[in-house]
Amino acid sequence: MSKLPIKNELGFFEIRLESIGGLGAHLAGKMLAEAGVLGLGLNGAHFSSYGSEKKGSPVKSFIRLGEREIRASNPVERPHVVGVFHEALFKTIDVANGLYPDSVMLVNTTKSPEEIKEKLNIQSGTIAVIDALNISVEERTRVNTAMLGALYRIAEFLDPEARKNVIRATFEEKYPHLVEANIRTFDRGYNEVVFKTFEAEDGMVTDFVRAKSSLGYETQPIGGVITNPGNSILKDLSASRQGFLPSYDKDKCINCAACDTACPDLCFVWKEEIDKKGRPQMVLQGIDYQYCKGCMKCVVVCPTDALSKTRETDGYADENRVPHNFVLASN
Amino acid sequence: MAIVEKDLFVNQKIDFKTGNEMAALSVAQINFHVMGYFPITPSTEIAEFLDEMKTRGEHDILMIPADGEHGSAGINFGAATGGGRVFNATSANGFLYMLEQLPVQSGSRFPMVLNLVTRSISGPLNIRGDHSDLYYGLNIGWPILLARDPQAVYDLNIIATKLAEHKDVRLPVVVAFDGFVTSHRKRNVHYFNDKKLVQDFVGEMPEGFITAFDPENPVTIGPYMNDPDFINNKYQQSQAMYQAEAVYEQIAEEYKQLSGREYEIVDEYRMEDAEVALFLLNSAAETAKDAVDKLRQQGIKAGVISPNMIRPFPAKQIRQSLKNVKAVLVGERADSYGANGGNITQEVKAAIQEDKENNTIVLSRIFSLGGKDFYMDEAEEFFQLALDAVEKGYAEVPFDYYGVHPGDIENAPKAVLEPVKTEEWKSGLIQVEKNEETGLLKVKVPPLRALTKKPKRLAPGHGACPGCGIYPGLETFFKGIEGDIVALFQTGCGMVVSTGYPHSAHKGTYIHNLFQNGAATLSGVVEMFWEKKRRGEIQVPDDFTFIMVTGDGGMDIGMGPAIGAALRNHKMIILEYDNEGYMNTGSQLSYSTPIGHMTTTSGVGEKQGGKAFHHKDTAQIMAATNIPYVFTGTEAFPQDLIKKAAKAQWYAQNEGLVYGKILISCPLNWKAKDEEGTAIVGTAVNSCFFPIYEVEKGITTITYNPEEKGKRVPVSEWLGMLGKTKHLLKPEYEATLKSFEEEIERRWQRLVAKDTNPFL
Repeated sequence: MSKLPIKNELGFFEIRLESIGGLGAHLAGKMLAEAGVLGLGLNGAHFSSYGSEKKGSPVKSFIRLGEREIRASNPVERPHVVGVFHEALFKTIDVANGLYPDSVMLVNTTKSPEEIKEKLNIQSGTIAVIDALNISVEERTRVNTAMLGALYRIAEFLDPEARKNVIRATFEEKYPHLVEANIRTFDRGYNEVVFKTFEAEDGMVTDFVRAKSSLGYETQPIGGVITNPGNSILKDLSASRQGFLPSYDKDKCINCAACDTACPDLCFVWKEEIDKKGRPQMVLQGIDYQYCKGCMKCVVVCPTDALSKTRETDGYADENRVPHNFVLASN
Repeated sequence: MAIVEKDLFVNQKIDFKTGNEMAALSVAQINFHVMGYFPITPSTEIAEFLDEMKTRGEHDILMIPADGEHGSAGINFGAATGGGRVFNATSANGFLYMLEQLPVQSGSRFPMVLNLVTRSISGPLNIRGDHSDLYYGLNIGWPILLARDPQAVYDLNIIATKLAEHKDVRLPVVVAFDGFVTSHRKRNVHYFNDKKLVQDFVGEMPEGFITAFDPENPVTIGPYMNDPDFINNKYQQSQAMYQAEAVYEQIAEEYKQLSGREYEIVDEYRMEDAEVALFLLNSAAETAKDAVDKLRQQGIKAGVISPNMIRPFPAKQIRQSLKNVKAVLVGERADSYGANGGNITQEVKAAIQEDKENNTIVLSRIFSLGGKDFYMDEAEEFFQLALDAVEKGYAEVPFDYYGVHPGDIENAPKAVLEPVKTEEWKSGLIQVEKNEETGLLKVKVPPLRALTKKPKRLAPGHGACPGCGIYPGLETFFKGIEGDIVALFQTGCGMVVSTGYPHSAHKGTYIHNLFQNGAATLSGVVEMFWEKKRRGEIQVPDDFTFIMVTGDGGMDIGMGPAIGAALRNHKMIILEYDNEGYMNTGSQLSYSTPIGHMTTTSGVGEKQGGKAFHHKDTAQIMAATNIPYVFTGTEAFPQDLIKKAAKAQWYAQNEGLVYGKILISCPLNWKAKDEEGTAIVGTAVNSCFFPIYEVEKGITTITYNPEEKGKRVPVSEWLGMLGKTKHLLKPEYEATLKSFEEEIERRWQRLVAKDTNPFL
């Protein structure tokens, strides 16, 4: 009998993790695949999307498990399970791409399965939700351990006890005080994940898109030259934030520009105004949150309390964003 | 690879590892003598894993961090003349940078093993996989083995070591495997539990060959040899190369007996009765095997040929394999531009041309360049092309690119930002005056608040890590620069995160070149500017400022061209952001990494305690070239840095080359808090580790003296802010800390002396 509950045409069970660099999705993926290979004697492959993307940039991690030899090396396009470590990715990444009608979508969120279904426009399948961020904050551990717990619950063929032994072995020697918190985090992920299954209609098929580059050989300027520099302003980096952003209180600001000097992401928006004595002065208008990665350097260098670290709630950045007034080209 | 007998695995451990992990494991088990290396993605991890293993005491290979790949190849050639075992790993442009040295090594007949983790060569810069680097290696005179998966990486490294040293070969050997797909993908693997088994198989380094260390038999290695002798040397080399085939077969057979794994010269999959075939190198061949199984179910006689060795080229086996094949498609992950097919296509055609009976139709497709994934359905399309040719009796399109697309004209690039006008760059806020008496410059800059009016040189939207110090450092510097600039960034984090195609965060004109050559390149830009001006061919203001931006890594590998540009005294600025390591490739040590600091190639543990030697004093090296202006600065002292930028611009426009170094924090690899970057670099200044000063026309001035301000702190305060140096505060690292403190103090006192005496 197969150890795997479900397989694709090549005989593999496939998982895709969607995250940003720094949340530990690569490590979680490695642990899942290792459990299949070393724990169950399956064949496995694990790899992540690589590039020069840095911490905070979107990253995917892929797990392929099967009883036969694995030869394919392509990314997972049709996952049986997707694990979204960072909900903010919804804005820029099609995390649901390629799901089968009965796949499982796990999301680190405070929302309900119904809300996720609505938000991602998923027609059917199982939606699983877990507030991994909250668990990790409460236990002072990492999001990926809570996510791993939830993923073990979904991939029922893996043995959670074996994983806990690995967690124990990992921390025991050097960081014994972390063992219990990590085991608790894993267990809470395992136990607190909430499922809801939405039945697929008979014969329903879902599709997937293999992404193409926006430019091709007839539209790329020769030599790889970028002829419209400064177009990085079109990017949205808000998914790099991990739950916190700097909030700005204009009344407390002395316009010293320390924040502007410290900011790596050029987020501060200034405008010339006339002061009480009739002189032109630069005045800080606010923060363009589209580019803010939440590093908080500005909060630390601010000599007053004008900037403070704030837990980011849904909609806060959109409501309080002060957009840069770029001079856009007229094409 | 075919597995012959399961019971052989009793000596072997089953594990789940990547190609790079398996490469490092094989190298550690063999326990080579020396590895001279320089990090480059995706091969870098091999040195990192070896460093980790060394820290744990699992091997004692002497690892030498070179100043670049050319240097690494020199170290390795030199080490090989000593008659010991030598290993290196590289990729892409690193391979090309060392290319000159590789025929020296094969022509001189000194064995070693090089792992080539294949990756696309620049430009444009691409860090992902294809075979364009490998193809440059086809003519260097090294036998080349191809490892299709992590298991093969381990096995072929062991075989390669023995092959290289064999008396009938005596040649360095390349083991090539696919970047990322093989190097970074974990797969099921086997390896020997006991390294002694590996060492016994490889054997002691054979004796009786030339070494540089035999005083009783002195030798001249590398004579000056013209005609008529040279061709005879090459004939020997050619014979040795062909002999490598039989020697390989013999070693591979012995290895099969030991390991249970077989690596024939040509891997044939279901070729017995195949009528259509794909000829592919490395991992793509594995994907195609799945397509073969599917096509076979449909009654199509399909097969895959993929060599495990391409130098010497196994022409005989390929001829045999293709004897009854009606059409073969050679898929190539690199082109030989203009040759109507990549190199392997030509060689396959040449091989079958010698079989008078052969009628195989050969198609050639360039595919999956620069890391573009290869899917089973694409392999099926390749087979379909071959089937179409069989049906027609000829190849309608013998050679083409596969997987390209024209793009939608709707999405063609459109201007996004209106270019910043020259008048806007000239804010008038920065004033520089020359004091005719002293000859020195006087600079006035307004408060930071007023300077927010100046447009920034970069647009937001770059992809640096949260808290990255590069852009605060650069933008603070740019506040002092007025008017138009042309910037050249050498390869590094600053370049990669600001120009990820099709986006660019640079508002003004920007050029990239590889980081060993930016200074030379910008000097060419500068001189063309002035030459075109002189000839009246361009009508632009002559107050352009030319600025090269580099990391500290670029000032290691690019030190020679930087000194060359300085000695020629071109009117340009070299601005170095120093984050004390090769952060773009994953935090390997640079020469600017201070002693004892932990990086991925200077681990901290039982057998080593971080970097072994002191940090490079690049500012003093550049000052010794007697250029008009040298400075150091940080974002923590913005007014100071802006003033220096203004001076730098004046000198670069009026006198010649300027070099400046800014210390920036790298929270990720310094294991520091994102938000503390400004304070961290400020504390580095106050500890006198990073004094901020200038050398203006030979006269040194400390522009902020923490001692005079009563702000000096012990360096331990700075080290305590960084995760990478926390260990240095423990008693067991007392000696390292003391050595670091003494070096800082020695350099500081010398600087103070220079500050007080204009003749120093």
